[in-house]
Amino acid sequence: MLSLNPQTRKKLQRFRQIKRGYYSFLLLAGLGVLLAFGELLINSRALIVSYQGQLYFPTYTDFRPGTDFGLDYAYETNYRELKAHFQQQGEGNWVLLPLVPYNAYENHAPGGVFRPLPPNAAEQHYLGTDTTSRDILARLFYGTRIALVFALIFTACVYVIGITIGCAMGYFGGIFDLVFQRIIEIWSNVPFLYMVIIIFSVIPGSVAVTTRIGILLLVMVLFSWTGMTYYMRTETYKEKSRDYIASARIIGASNARIIFRHIMPNVLSTLVTFMPFTIVAAISAITALDFLGFGLPAPTPSLGELLKQGTANLRTAPWIVISAFGTLVALLTLVTFIGEAIRESFDPKTFSVYR
Amino acid sequence: MNKTLPTLLLASLLLLLGGCGKSGDEGSAANTAAAEASAASVDAEVEAFYAANPDFFSFKTLADLPPDLAWTSNEHLPEVGSPEAKKGGAQYGALQDFPRTLRTVGPDSNGSFRAFLLDDVSMTLTHLHPDTLELYPGLAESWAVDWDNQTVYAKLDPAATWSDGEPITADDYLFMFWFYRSPYIMAPWYNNFYSTTYTNITHYDDHTISITMAERKPDMDERGLLLRPIPRHFYGEMGDDFSERYQWAFEPTSGAYIVRDQDIRKGRSIALTRHENWWARDKKHWRYRFNADRIQLNVIRDTPKMFEAFKRGDIDQFGLNLAEYWYEKLPDSDPDVQAGYIHKVTFYNQRPRPPFGLWINTAQPLLDDRDIRVGIAHATNWDMVIEKFFRGDNERLDTGNDGFGEYSHPTLKAREFDLVKAQEHFAKAGFSRRGADGILVNEAGQKLSFTLSTGYEAMRDVLTILRQEAAKAGLDLRLEILDGTVGWKKVQEKQHEIFFTAFGRFLEEYPRFWEHYHSENAWDRAFLEDGSVNPDRQPKTQTNNLEAFALPEMDQLIERYRASIDKAEMIDLSHRMIELHHEHASFVPGFYQGFFRVGHWRWVRYPEGFSYKHSDGPGELFVHWIDTEMKEETEAARRTGKSFEPSITVYDQRAE
Repeated sequence: MLSLNPQTRKKLQRFRQIKRGYYSFLLLAGLGVLLAFGELLINSRALIVSYQGQLYFPTYTDFRPGTDFGLDYAYETNYRELKAHFQQQGEGNWVLLPLVPYNAYENHAPGGVFRPLPPNAAEQHYLGTDTTSRDILARLFYGTRIALVFALIFTACVYVIGITIGCAMGYFGGIFDLVFQRIIEIWSNVPFLYMVIIIFSVIPGSVAVTTRIGILLLVMVLFSWTGMTYYMRTETYKEKSRDYIASARIIGASNARIIFRHIMPNVLSTLVTFMPFTIVAAISAITALDFLGFGLPAPTPSLGELLKQGTANLRTAPWIVISAFGTLVALLTLVTFIGEAIRESFDPKTFSVYR
Repeated sequence: MNKTLPTLLLASLLLLLGGCGKSGDEGSAANTAAAEASAASVDAEVEAFYAANPDFFSFKTLADLPPDLAWTSNEHLPEVGSPEAKKGGAQYGALQDFPRTLRTVGPDSNGSFRAFLLDDVSMTLTHLHPDTLELYPGLAESWAVDWDNQTVYAKLDPAATWSDGEPITADDYLFMFWFYRSPYIMAPWYNNFYSTTYTNITHYDDHTISITMAERKPDMDERGLLLRPIPRHFYGEMGDDFSERYQWAFEPTSGAYIVRDQDIRKGRSIALTRHENWWARDKKHWRYRFNADRIQLNVIRDTPKMFEAFKRGDIDQFGLNLAEYWYEKLPDSDPDVQAGYIHKVTFYNQRPRPPFGLWINTAQPLLDDRDIRVGIAHATNWDMVIEKFFRGDNERLDTGNDGFGEYSHPTLKAREFDLVKAQEHFAKAGFSRRGADGILVNEAGQKLSFTLSTGYEAMRDVLTILRQEAAKAGLDLRLEILDGTVGWKKVQEKQHEIFFTAFGRFLEEYPRFWEHYHSENAWDRAFLEDGSVNPDRQPKTQTNNLEAFALPEMDQLIERYRASIDKAEMIDLSHRMIELHHEHASFVPGFYQGFFRVGHWRWVRYPEGFSYKHSDGPGELFVHWIDTEMKEETEAARRTGKSFEPSITVYDQRAE
């Protein structure tokens, strides 16, 4: 049984009382679960295929060529066509497709040409298609997943670096603090956007998409950890001068022990309150970079890329910008609500007014 | 305080003078020349150059002119432009980027704005008639061609003047050769072209010259007669600082439009003004053209925004070549089209076609295997690109050199999309097993995967289609959409695997092969003395041989083709080279557009027939005019909701 410190329990209690934040958290958690199993909801691969009495579950397996199901091609089976094919044959074979039978990459042009289609339930394009006839819902869904995962990893990395360096600066102080402050000042003045552009212009195109995303993450982390250090530094300075630290030192505790066992739990509230806002910043940053064309490499689904398409087709295809913008606003609002609730529940005073 | 500034100025001036003196004293001969040139007139240098190259620059008298020359001025040609054209009004357009310079030669000068300064506006000795490709008079009032001696003779129009009033004389043509061969202009291509293509220019009197070409090519007369002079009086001072000194200086023009200093608003807009006293304003072929009094060009960097400006009426016309714009953004059902405010025009033309397709770098591993390349050709579904992206309006390109008339191959067809054939060829190259993701792998476990790059962001969807279809054949194409400049840099450094691009094609009689297919442009030293492949060869960068195409057989054909003066032989050689290129399968022909499309507000008027057989775009010949009364009428109608007859026209008389 998980036993929590009574103070933490009180904070959690408080968080649950703040309805707006709590429900936002539940919603986002629910969305997280959906996103984790997204392949079962929005995917061009069938959930179950029953062919000649045998069941197939292609979602998470290797690709299945059309020949496996009695079709005449050796490339990946088109399950939507397979479904129609089976229904036509009427031999008892069947296909169970996900709710949205499209993936984020394929171009499905019912009219024969690539053009944005308005939302259409009959074709199961519930939010319409983008300029290359890709399903917007699928792209939003997987784009959000990538953005969230990206933001979480980003936050974790920024925290690890920021906390370590910030704490060290506050704890050791003196020359170390002075030198690192100058380094951070210089480093934080390097223009981030130019660095992204320069770095991506020298990376060869043969580098895989996942590696490129990793490099983008690395670059963003490298230029974002500095902000965190300021808070950690001041917090550590404050805690360091308290008596319990002095006592710990007299007992003979090591620096690492003092930092991680004594100081860290006491500055936790600062860390936790900042977390949602760091995530918001990360999502906005990656969206902005995608919008400018320097973010995730094509054809990765992303909110920024959809926004860009949307603004270029405001007049002819307003549904693109509406869905992308709506999703972005909803996502950022949810995270912000959660962040506010956390901040409030970690506040020792019950009634505070935040401006 | 009051005294510091002048003192400082004086000190810096002294320093400057000291610097000059020093370089003059110590510098080598070349330095001295450069220093003098940057400070003083180049007259002496030019004269010295003429004297040092007496074979190239000859001075004779009218009596030396061959007596039996057949002078002509092709008076039978139908006039370009329409007598209905009205002068006046302002034309509004947009530029994607502000011009980097007003120079027409040297660094950064080859931008899109140069067309307004040089290519489409300034005059040459004669011009190609856009319907018949015969010559009509420009700066020359008559000319004669001596094929046997590879020489053209021209009588300059004595009325011709530069826009600053100075007469255009034979001197400006002689000077042109010095100018284009001068190292100051920092343009190696010009240096090379003007010193190798021509062997002589002769000054008979101020208005009579002859120009001799090095080779008797079928288009030798055009080489000589499409030259444009350079105003000698304007470039009186030249030196190593040429590119900075003339960066924003408008060169006096022989054409109808000038750029005034007050109309250059850097980074924002630039305007051309019609030269009221243009010397050719009453001449045949010229009098009904260049009609707008002013052409105002504002910088709008974003294409969708440019389109919105057009829809508002801030821009007079907008190119609708992309299907997205023609069918989606300005459909025939658009209220402005239906009300007759905006006219839509499709014009079919005939020109050498830019070779849109996949340029495969055969210097890369795996791509050096012909079977892989043939497989790629069979695995790219261009028909689907044409059908889905271009909506069936474009045509499949068959070879890299289509649209050159007899010189293009009459029967050769591009390889069709065929998954079975593609997989057969991939299997021959060792790729017969599909991996977990459906992509072919060979025995060594290597994936059949290549990077397909492009610098055309607007054509992103073309590559998306190719990628999807290629995956069916088990071929993985990783897409890399680059910024135009970055993409170009990549191919010029030969870093690409497969590149999707095209080269602009001039209106030329016969295709060029040396640039794209000669081994000299592929490798530093492609072959050893005995003709075998040099094992240590390195790719040659900064050339247009994007395929690393190097075959000794092709080299021989190219050299024969370049030396040939017989049209029939050249045609035969051209066909054989196109076949060889097809056989090598290093280029996958994509598509071409056999027309141009434009949307224009109804106050932009065009002659009957709209444009000409060989023209490239609606604005190229400046035959349109702005009807100011109609503009007022249309603007009033837009306010009141009055409508006119809609106009959606297809001119397909020239369709191939």
